[in-house]
Amino acid sequence: MKKTVITLAAAFIIICSAVIFKNVYSCEMPVKNRGIRDAINCGDLDVLFLGSSTFRSNIDMPLMDEAYDGRVYDISYGGNELVATVIQYDEIKKRSPHDYGLFVFELGPMMLTQDVSLSDSRVIWDLSWEGKKALWERMKESGNTDFSMMYEYFITSGMDDLVTFPVTEPFYSTRYYKGAKTDETVSPGREVLENEVFDISKEEYVDAQIKAVSDIIKKCREDGQAFVFVESPCYRRLIEDPKYIECKKRYIEILEEQDAPFILADDVDFDCSDPDLFEDMNHMSAKGRRAYTAELIKRLKKTEEE
Amino acid sequence: MSLVSLPFLIFICVLLILYYRMDSRHQWKILLLAGLFFHAWSNPYLIIFLLISIISTWKLMQNPVKSHFIWVLVINLGILILFKYSVNLGVKDLAAPLGISYYTFMTIGYAHDVYDRKIEPEKDLYHYALFVSFFPQMTQGPIGVYQEMMPQLTARHSFDMDNIKKGAYRILVGIFKKMVIAGRVAFYVDTVYADPGSFAGLTLIVATAFYLIQLYADFSGYMDIVCGISNMLGIDLKENFNRPYLSKNIPEYWTRWHISLNEWYKTHLFMPAVTSGFNRSFAKGLGRVFKKAKKGTLRLILPTVMVWVVTGIWHGARLSYLGWGVYFAIVMLISFCTQSYVKKLNEKIGWNRDNIFVKIFRIIRTLVIVAAGEVIFRSERFSDALAVFRNILTTTRINGSAVAAAMTPFGNGNQAAASMLIITVLITAQAVIEIAKERDEKAFTGHRYIYAAAMMVTIVLFGVSGASNFMYQAF
Repeated sequence: MKKTVITLAAAFIIICSAVIFKNVYSCEMPVKNRGIRDAINCGDLDVLFLGSSTFRSNIDMPLMDEAYDGRVYDISYGGNELVATVIQYDEIKKRSPHDYGLFVFELGPMMLTQDVSLSDSRVIWDLSWEGKKALWERMKESGNTDFSMMYEYFITSGMDDLVTFPVTEPFYSTRYYKGAKTDETVSPGREVLENEVFDISKEEYVDAQIKAVSDIIKKCREDGQAFVFVESPCYRRLIEDPKYIECKKRYIEILEEQDAPFILADDVDFDCSDPDLFEDMNHMSAKGRRAYTAELIKRLKKTEEE
Repeated sequence: MSLVSLPFLIFICVLLILYYRMDSRHQWKILLLAGLFFHAWSNPYLIIFLLISIISTWKLMQNPVKSHFIWVLVINLGILILFKYSVNLGVKDLAAPLGISYYTFMTIGYAHDVYDRKIEPEKDLYHYALFVSFFPQMTQGPIGVYQEMMPQLTARHSFDMDNIKKGAYRILVGIFKKMVIAGRVAFYVDTVYADPGSFAGLTLIVATAFYLIQLYADFSGYMDIVCGISNMLGIDLKENFNRPYLSKNIPEYWTRWHISLNEWYKTHLFMPAVTSGFNRSFAKGLGRVFKKAKKGTLRLILPTVMVWVVTGIWHGARLSYLGWGVYFAIVMLISFCTQSYVKKLNEKIGWNRDNIFVKIFRIIRTLVIVAAGEVIFRSERFSDALAVFRNILTTTRINGSAVAAAMTPFGNGNQAAASMLIITVLITAQAVIEIAKERDEKAFTGHRYIYAAAMMVTIVLFGVSGASNFMYQAF
């Protein structure tokens, strides 16, 4: 019986230690080339991008470096949505002693219909305990939680990365530079892009996401932080989709109501019908990334001047 | 009620308390009620079919004449076919009673043994009902044999802490296999096999290897849980797996995989078919064509084909299941027919079967043959299976881009390497244990408490929480 109790106690202690470490200290892990901690370590920045994998794939960091003397960083998470973006913004502001010239948020129209959820386990890694709790509370308020989600959120999510960190981190860190992708991705060709299946049929807007847009604007204004929302160009088929157009219209309405600055895909000289520039519907090929970044820099500089 | 769920944990705890607190004369009654409750939990109305099967079989076999045995077959197989192939019969898709395949096998096995006078008919209806409805083995087996199970089920069991510990450890092993190993590789397999034609050879080879692991970890994990629960109740169930992937040939493989089902087929289908008059005439006819063939071998042909076709169809009315059955029938027939030639050839070339490299070669060869069969089994359509074979044979490359492509189904690129690393470590650890146990059954039994703690930690931190349904439950 004594051995059984010791076994149970030992397992319990190991599990608790791993769970506490992940939830409290994961944001302090020396992750390179991506994430909030690495961005903070870069010091004062002229431009800080905060968005989803679209920003990760569509921003060419060497070009940005050249334009801003290296004072630029791209924080992105797969499927990142607006509610999480608010919490990530708070986290950066709370933890960072540095100044940021311009915050660039993603104007992804379909984000308005996205459920509040944990879209990428890297979000768990990058947030402090307070940030994790805040995101969980917002997920709970949206009614998208149950026991199994809570288990995944606080216990298993991100655990693979934590345990394999010494082995996998050197591999991962070479795939990014200041948060942006470095892969020389190529277009799969017109035929694939014309036939790629995408589903943006979700009808309703999610109130929490609409509120989050306002929260971002409000927080930036309270902090005296310059900001802009940027819509990344998507492949012709997606950008011309009626549902996409409708969501984009709604997003613009929210921004205009609050007099918030934004740059649309149409404001940039970029050919959304050229298949060579895209890897899939909303991620660019290396060629597209460079072409778009060069144009975006011009537009951002203009916005800063205004 | 899934075996890896909170309601089941509560169910087991309450059952154990009642089972050991009650006068041991009444323990079997508790088990009977638990079995009926477990069955009714999934769908209370469908218990009627279990009761029809129990009462009709018990009553008819009290007088084991041929007509009664035929009625038992008609009633039980009729219900099974109605539910299992309802869609194909033009009836709407009916929800099948829990474990219908397995209790039907047990019922027919009992009736056949009574009819053959191997056992006496059970006099007590409730005892017989307990044999059929014993809940741990109801959903996926093992298929219980009356003469082995009944004495244990009705015996008095006193509380023994060693049984509880032994059972708990076995359950832990089962949950580990199911939630950690099978649950983790399932994502990769499902992604690739959803559209196998669009993946290159190396990815398909990895997916197929993972499918073999998933199938074994899922099914044998279930058996570990079932045996563990039975251990806690003081009942020893027959082992259903004996490290099948370490078999050196296909006939051996089928004596180590789903043992209870294969023994059932052997006893109640294969052997009666071998000795039937029709088969003798058929073998005689074949003998006239193949004059050099051995009589014994010819007699195995028809029963082998029959058993494998039935096994394939038993899994469901799908062309790929039938294809899988036919494939193994052909493999088994080749094995039977070439046995003597291979033996002579081995002697001629001095092939030493005890040599470690020869053993490894034979194990790998067997695994490849099994894997080819499982490709057919796993594919939704027969054309998918052909696409898998075609892509493996024509597009397999081992270079940087092929390896990168093979990593894609691990999920989001950000987690792929970590996921792959954990899966590799866990599978290697499990394989090391199984290989060591193959050499010495007592291997890895010395530090059980350390293994138990390691498994608990791994289950909680790396287990796939949503993976509660077992694969063979569907059959």
